[in-house]
Amino acid sequence: MEQPISVQQRRRGFRITYQTALFSLLVFLIALFGVLQPVFFAPDVLFNVTAIIGEIGIMALAMTFIITTGGIDLSVGYNLQLCAVIFGSVYTSSHNLTLAILLSVATGILCGFLNGIIISRTRIPPLVTTLATMSLFRGVSMIVAGTNTYSGFPDGFKQISTINLFDVIPIQFIYFIVLFAVFNLFYSRGRLGRNLKGIGFNENALIFSGIDTKRNLLFIYTLSGLMCALAALIYLGRLSAATTSMGNDLNLQVVTAVVLGGTSIMGGIGSVTGTFIGVLIIGVLRKGFTLLNFSGNIFNFTLGVMLIVALIVFAWLEERKKTAGRKSK
Amino acid sequence: MDSGIASSGPEVVLHLEGITKSFPGVRALSGMTIDLRRAEVHAICGENGAGKSTLMKIITGIYKPDSGQMKLGGQPLDIKNPNEAYARGIAIIFQETSLFPDLTVLENLFMGHELKRPLFDSLRLFPILDYPAMRRKSAEIFGKLGMSVDLDAKVANLGVATKQMVEIAKALTFESSILILDEPTAALTNKEVDTLFETIRKLQAQGVSMLYISHRLDEIFQIADRVTVIRDGEHIHTEEVAKVTKDELVSWMVGRTLHNLYPKGEVEIGEVIFEARGISQSPLLKGIDLQLRRGEILGLSGLAGAGRTELSLALCGLSRPDSGQVFIDGKKLHFANYRQAMDHGMVYISEDRQKYGLIVPMSVSENITLPLLRSLSRKTGIIDSQSERRISGEYMERLAIKAPSGDFVVNNLSGGNQQKVSVAKALATAPRILILDEPTRGVDVGAKSEIHRIISNLAAEGKSIIMISSDLPEIISMSDRVIVMKNGLKMGELSRAELSQERILQLAL
Amino acid sequence: MKKRITLTREFILGLIVLAFMIFLALTTQFATRNGLFSMMLDVSPTILGAIALSLVIFTGNIDISAGTILGFVSYTAGELAILGAPIWLFAPAAFVVGVLLSGLNGYITVRFKVPSIVVTLAMNMVHLGFYATFLHNSGWLENLGDNFTWFGRGQVFGIIPFIFIVSIAVAALFMFIMKFSKFGKSVYAVGGNRQAAIYAGINPDGTVIKVFLVEGLLLGIAGTLKAVTRSDVLPSSFQGREMTYIAAAIVGGVNIMGGSGKLLGAVFGALLVYLLSTAMIYLGFQDYFQYALQGIIILVAVFITVTDFSAWRKKRPTVIARRGEN
Repeated sequence: MEQPISVQQRRRGFRITYQTALFSLLVFLIALFGVLQPVFFAPDVLFNVTAIIGEIGIMALAMTFIITTGGIDLSVGYNLQLCAVIFGSVYTSSHNLTLAILLSVATGILCGFLNGIIISRTRIPPLVTTLATMSLFRGVSMIVAGTNTYSGFPDGFKQISTINLFDVIPIQFIYFIVLFAVFNLFYSRGRLGRNLKGIGFNENALIFSGIDTKRNLLFIYTLSGLMCALAALIYLGRLSAATTSMGNDLNLQVVTAVVLGGTSIMGGIGSVTGTFIGVLIIGVLRKGFTLLNFSGNIFNFTLGVMLIVALIVFAWLEERKKTAGRKSK
Repeated sequence: MDSGIASSGPEVVLHLEGITKSFPGVRALSGMTIDLRRAEVHAICGENGAGKSTLMKIITGIYKPDSGQMKLGGQPLDIKNPNEAYARGIAIIFQETSLFPDLTVLENLFMGHELKRPLFDSLRLFPILDYPAMRRKSAEIFGKLGMSVDLDAKVANLGVATKQMVEIAKALTFESSILILDEPTAALTNKEVDTLFETIRKLQAQGVSMLYISHRLDEIFQIADRVTVIRDGEHIHTEEVAKVTKDELVSWMVGRTLHNLYPKGEVEIGEVIFEARGISQSPLLKGIDLQLRRGEILGLSGLAGAGRTELSLALCGLSRPDSGQVFIDGKKLHFANYRQAMDHGMVYISEDRQKYGLIVPMSVSENITLPLLRSLSRKTGIIDSQSERRISGEYMERLAIKAPSGDFVVNNLSGGNQQKVSVAKALATAPRILILDEPTRGVDVGAKSEIHRIISNLAAEGKSIIMISSDLPEIISMSDRVIVMKNGLKMGELSRAELSQERILQLAL
Repeated sequence: MKKRITLTREFILGLIVLAFMIFLALTTQFATRNGLFSMMLDVSPTILGAIALSLVIFTGNIDISAGTILGFVSYTAGELAILGAPIWLFAPAAFVVGVLLSGLNGYITVRFKVPSIVVTLAMNMVHLGFYATFLHNSGWLENLGDNFTWFGRGQVFGIIPFIFIVSIAVAALFMFIMKFSKFGKSVYAVGGNRQAAIYAGINPDGTVIKVFLVEGLLLGIAGTLKAVTRSDVLPSSFQGREMTYIAAAIVGGVNIMGGSGKLLGAVFGALLVYLLSTAMIYLGFQDYFQYALQGIIILVAVFITVTDFSAWRKKRPTVIARRGEN
């Protein structure tokens, strides 16, 4: 009979080994790209990696919360697009930066809130809800933008998301790290994180403990919307333009980062740290592919394959754990 | 000796001999022997947990017996799955229907065994579903049952009684010669019960043999030819209904020795601290009144479906009653949700700990502190893990929860220890009023008495307890008073002096 | 029992479609020979796509990679045609491609118990990336000759396109199959009450895989039909098409949670969605309005289907069955 291990130990054990593996993958990829394209090792290139993952990273943090509850938010990409378009449209017509920012953020929160209300108050599953709002946000963003592509944003604004601290560290990365620290804290040691994991495992048990699960769900989807808005601002600052095709690929990157990071799609188990590493991996891949002159489609292809493989591997591990458990009984 | 068991004589269609079945921690059936004659209605009677449903699941192939023999019409019977049972002519009408709500009656009747005909008759090719034939057969079957049902109605739109008729008709599409009805009248009105009985008699006349599981003695006397009483997984007695009285049945159902139970301590019972008046909730609860005193253990007895759980949920904000009031310390209160009830010192421990009580993949500590998270993270939203550890350690010790540490996953604990975690979770909220729903279900004897000790201590500390239990000796030894429920009504109240298994059952049945 | 024409959802949908068509005929160029011809041309693949997605949704699954599967299908058809294959060769080949890709989705979903939403989300991107990586010019084919487009241009009675006839025929065939085969019933059963389906002797995993394979076939046919109406092929242009099919199915009464719905409804749904967007174009709305519209349609239709209005009267305990547990 195997020695009984505490769940904390077992979880820590698994997390340590998994995250170590994930981290080694990250290191390996950096090394690989470096070998293929030595310029990859240049510090400003490496730091550029962190610059391009700001948007994905922020959204992935919120997505980790959502997937932990067993749900999903497919609308994040187009939510971001809508926020960006609103910003562009408001700024272009009013030249009031503050107003544009405020309305953009309000849009993100509102969209997230819409998701949250529907998911927590009606019995429509998160999948269907966000599938529908995904379409809705996309459509609205296209209606608002028409055929325009907004650009010409003030330098001050661009600096918010592109300035380099100490001339080296991109500020998006700082934003990401700060938010990561906050999310991680509340996820691993906070009441919110405990609630979310509980919802993912067994929402009824929480209801029978007097916890208001509806409020928690409403909160995380609204939070996701806020993150989309913030990500939009960073994205805009970086690319200096708002178009109606921004939203497409983001979903996949966000979900892949979270799943790769070890958060289970079935809910209950997850890791914000894992998501962090997952986001970095995606950043490295993207930068590496760009340097190797691979197109964005090849990148998406690789990401898609990685997601599928990760899902299959996790599912297979779950299966093995279950049959192993049965054998020892 | 019984007059019932014989392999010869009036034709025996089904014979079970020495059937034994165990699950981890509990022996459900022990040497069960029973037989069913052609065209008879044979009632199976026993308390909750006596083994009735396990028996039925073995007969219909959902479970396999550990040992024993089954014979169908004299031939050995070895069923691997419910489908095979159907094919051999054995059908069961479940309590929870196994129908497809979005499909029509006709589709449900023949799902999985539809009638077919070839698309091109002469060529015998391309079998397609033969609706006319299925309609004809359905009409035939419903005709035999003396009913008419709209074959194209969606099952979801049918009433409970009609759904049951559809289930019965479904069984008959298999040309079943043996029909098992599991508590068929649980959700029926009196008029619907009459219709059901008419149907049963018609089926009998057509040669169908039926096993009728029920604890409703009045019905058994109405409809059954013979009755078998089982208790604790064992066959107790089989007798012709005409030759037996209700009291005899009750005494056979009862009769366990009151051993292995923690003796109840003497507790001073104080004033009324909790009162419920006129609690009603459709479809079950009808005007329940209840009083609870400080330090008192109030037993809530009755058979499954009597409404004890429903009442409990309605009392503590987990569901809303249609009418009635709740008072704590004389003050009228209204709970919009469970959290409000908890804030007033009430707590409910569910009977299904795996589904509603615990988060099984999480640790003991995490489970115990689940209702306390708010206060453990008061200022910052971050859980004070030191306090968490202290509290969970405290309760682990107090309730003697056997686990190496608070970080141990609940999944790996024994049933008894899991239940203790459930109790610890409730106690951690420092309640004054506890509602325990089957607190020792699925718990081994040793842990059972420990839990009884805990409950008695709680009462001694001045807490008030409502205890739902289907375990008669348990409720008799633990309770200061017992309220017996039946069909959502309060049938009676017994003081400790008046308590006896017979009296409780008389009220409950 | 004589069957009266009851006020079924399909009947109402049919009426709405008719009303719409009349409206369009009166207000626009719709009723001309060109208008009708192009309507039938455009709606044919959508009808099959809506049926394909409906079948998958019946089992409680979903496929958001259907669009990119269409891309592969059309590419296969086009490439083989360029190499000289006649239609009775390139079409079946294209069908097979659809079956294989969809079957792969189904296999991963069933074997590894990964929710189909995530599988198809990932596969969507894998498909897109595949075009870009492994197909010359991302699979863009142009100047496809008559051996390719004759079928798409062909018509009967001077107005009914061949492909419309094909799609109606296939649709009718599948409506027949769903009603008159055991397979059809088992599809509903698996999505409606999985445990009861097992008790009835149905194998849920096998049924789901079969459904994905059938979906693949239908997508194969739909993709081929669409491809032969043009002389060029751009695989990535199909991306996102599945949202239209899903909207059509939902409008047609298919319950997104699985277990109920009629293919005839999905067909009417496809017509309705098409007519709606046509009307919007005629009325001056840009085509991207359809995204917003689709989103709203799905939300409203699902809300109506999922909300148990009678539950507002009952006050049952707060327990929740999430993710479609039975």
